[in-house]
Amino acid sequence: MTGDALYHDALLRLARAARGAGRLEAPDGSATRDNPLCGDRVSVEVRLRDGRVAALAHRVRGCVLCEASASLLGEAAPGRTGADLSAARDRLAAMLRNGAPPPDGDWSGLSVFTPVRAVPSRHDCVLMPFDALVDALGRARG
Amino acid sequence: MKKETLAEVLRDIAAKRSVVLSTDLRTGEGRVVHPFEDPPGAEPALAALAREAASRDASGVVETPAGKVFLRVFNPPVRVIVVGAVHIAQSFAPMVRQAGYDVLVVDPRRSFASPERFDGIPLVSEWPDEALARAGLDRRTAVVTMTHDPKIDDPALAAALRSDAFYVGALGSKKTQAARRERLRAMGFTDADVARVHGPVGLPINAATPGEIAVSILSELVGALRGAATPARTAA
Repeated sequence: MTGDALYHDALLRLARAARGAGRLEAPDGSATRDNPLCGDRVSVEVRLRDGRVAALAHRVRGCVLCEASASLLGEAAPGRTGADLSAARDRLAAMLRNGAPPPDGDWSGLSVFTPVRAVPSRHDCVLMPFDALVDALGRARG
Repeated sequence: MKKETLAEVLRDIAAKRSVVLSTDLRTGEGRVVHPFEDPPGAEPALAALAREAASRDASGVVETPAGKVFLRVFNPPVRVIVVGAVHIAQSFAPMVRQAGYDVLVVDPRRSFASPERFDGIPLVSEWPDEALARAGLDRRTAVVTMTHDPKIDDPALAAALRSDAFYVGALGSKKTQAARRERLRAMGFTDADVARVHGPVGLPINAATPGEIAVSILSELVGALRGAATPARTAA
């Protein structure tokens, strides 16, 4: 696996788009996750309406993989339920760690991360925004 | 000394401003001078002497055109901010304390910035640009980067170069330093800015162990604080 293939154009575009970057006023839930080994961190804020994500904002101090993953969530998370998002997180983990095929349908965009499979030390970079979102949703419901 | 004069000095000390109390040895009259903030005003000679005394951190009697005065210098404590909770920082931070300075270790990586590794040393697990903005860098602050990771070191060096920090140092080999200087220039810093970074860091004493490297850095830092003519590293 070369660095070029890991950071391919579609992934870089996704990271640069930084969809959902920023903060929310009066979020229902928020959470921060960090990687103790590299210091990367992501904070996610959500607002819910009728059990679905009405708005999501994130702040990322991290690598391109983490930025791209947060940007994908900024695009895909609004309108979804906590159960949808938790399932998406698990499918992403299975794709990275167990080589499961990328999801089709709503989450087919996760295929952008298939080159990361070959670099286990970077799996957490991709998963961190999803984990932070799941935490934030847990707090919003709790 | 008037009560108001004392109150003003105490306020400045609490606000961590450098302040000099000038007492006329003939009349006993006290005057408050902010050596790095006040315009020269009516007594440029006194202002210059106060600035010089504060820079050297040395109180004493000086001769002014208006007669002898005693200049009492109150400088905020020297603070050393170490970026990178690495092996050398474990030797360096306690030494900084022994030298009588405040120390703060900053590292966003929690596995490094752990209390077990830095017993009793103030630690923050944050990104340096955020931590340094909160700490407020001034002319009594030194910043030394130690991570070797540009992602962590560079924002700290950028913050330090935008401040009046009296000492800025960066651990790393000559090759690392050349690449770092290029990155800082690309961020818009001038050659004069970049030249403020001591790197390779420390006095050239052939330090080999973490403890020796810490001695070398601390010595250079003291030299910068006290205005010593320390030997420059040669480009050998």
